[in-house]
Amino acid sequence: MLKEQATQSERPRTHIEARSEQPRYPGRAEPIFEVHEVGVSYNGTPAVRNITLDIGRNRITALIGPSGCGKSTLIRCFNRMNDLIPSATVDGSILYHGQDLYGAGVDPVEVRKLIGMVFQKPNPFPKSIYDNIAFGPRVIGMKGDMDAIVERALTRAALWDEVKDRLKDNAYQLSGGQQQRLCIARCLAVEPDVILMDEPCSALDPIATAKIEDLMLELKDRYSIVIVTHNMQQAARVSDMTAVLMPEVREGDVTIGHIVEYAQTDKIFTNPDNKRTEEYVTGRVG
Amino acid sequence: MPEVRVEFHEQLRELEQEALSTIDLAGAALDQAIEAVVNRDTELAVMVIESDDRIDGRYLDVHQGILNLLARQSPVASDLRLVAALLHAIVHIERIGDLCVNMAKLVPLMGEPPDGAAEIMAKLQAAANQARDQLKQSQIAFEQRNLALAENLVSQDDVIDSLNRQIFQDAIEAGGSEPQTREWSAHAMLIARYIERIGDHTVDIGEQIAFVISGEFREFTDASRPGGVPA
Repeated sequence: MLKEQATQSERPRTHIEARSEQPRYPGRAEPIFEVHEVGVSYNGTPAVRNITLDIGRNRITALIGPSGCGKSTLIRCFNRMNDLIPSATVDGSILYHGQDLYGAGVDPVEVRKLIGMVFQKPNPFPKSIYDNIAFGPRVIGMKGDMDAIVERALTRAALWDEVKDRLKDNAYQLSGGQQQRLCIARCLAVEPDVILMDEPCSALDPIATAKIEDLMLELKDRYSIVIVTHNMQQAARVSDMTAVLMPEVREGDVTIGHIVEYAQTDKIFTNPDNKRTEEYVTGRVG
Repeated sequence: MPEVRVEFHEQLRELEQEALSTIDLAGAALDQAIEAVVNRDTELAVMVIESDDRIDGRYLDVHQGILNLLARQSPVASDLRLVAALLHAIVHIERIGDLCVNMAKLVPLMGEPPDGAAEIMAKLQAAANQARDQLKQSQIAFEQRNLALAENLVSQDDVIDSLNRQIFQDAIEAGGSEPQTREWSAHAMLIARYIERIGDHTVDIGEQIAFVISGEFREFTDASRPGGVPA
């Protein structure tokens, strides 16, 4: 059971190590998250239950499943976004580089710096392109040349060449795909370790989607990525590992999500072990 | 939950039916080819050659259908394995049709049979009958997703392999020293070889059936290591 949450002002900031030295599982990706028996409830009503899996470092891990299976609920556990929902409670444990993510003294703000999130709809600030990127580093007091920080983040997000001559333009003048890459750059600017993406391409056209997917593949050398997607072909194209969540009706009308299969993406899309995975990915159930 | 992608699955079923029904065409071609050989029926041989266009047409239809499905439907899991297996299977079936054409083309070239030709012809007929049965067995195994029936094709094919070796030996002995009889014997060996290859193609189709069922491809027998233990 997770410990009682204290407010930020009530406890000292605890630094979370962004890298552990040795892989815990030689031959496999070092687990960046070790998720054990996690469940999430809203107002006491369970949404997901019995979630156990390891998320590998420098891997793209996809969470797929039908609507209402708890994908977004689960991904929000990885940077404590559910803390922001008063009715949400999280059970079980999530170790981040071996350290309890929900442990006493762990600062959620520090967590969200190391574990950034990109949302379904691009949400730039009503500021200039430059200020969107510089905002996070300024807030957390990052040292160094801010121009260099902005350029580095935009370059890693494959946006620099498109915006370098108009950094003072309002971010709203960018296209939807550019805005989403700006949000990724904003996330990268604070030097995260993990990037969480909750349906990052669902509001984008195919070209913008392809650019985001290319970007994800480039970024995984440097970051670990977890993505929620409704687009199974997107999961097949970009991810290394795929977790399939399915809703299960229990306790009256309450639908509780759980993982039915977690395996290499090749396996999920060519020869899944679980019958429900097979039925879902082939469209034999809706 | 209701099935979705109904149209796609209907297209996939139709594609499978089209591919597997082509086995019937190949089987009929084999029946006619061996009949033309045994009866030295050149008209029937010409029919076999001309009828191969139907098998080739089916191959092109299935091939195009598979490309369309891959491009438009992005099949995965068992659907993807089925699509891949059908693409392999239709190539094997098309090759069987070509081997029947090869047999038919030899009919007008065989010349006068030597002594002992009747026994060789009987063995060629027996080998062709066996290949025909294997073709039907591969079709049923595919339709039923029957792994045991697919794997059984290996032992069935041993019958053809044995007959092929016997025909080879018989033809050497029957060939003698006369150029005409030696040519007849060489053609008989070729026909036996074509039938033996048809048998191999049915085993290859069986391997595709096993892949559809299990998700893992493995050769039933390893021709490069005949003494080895199959995986």
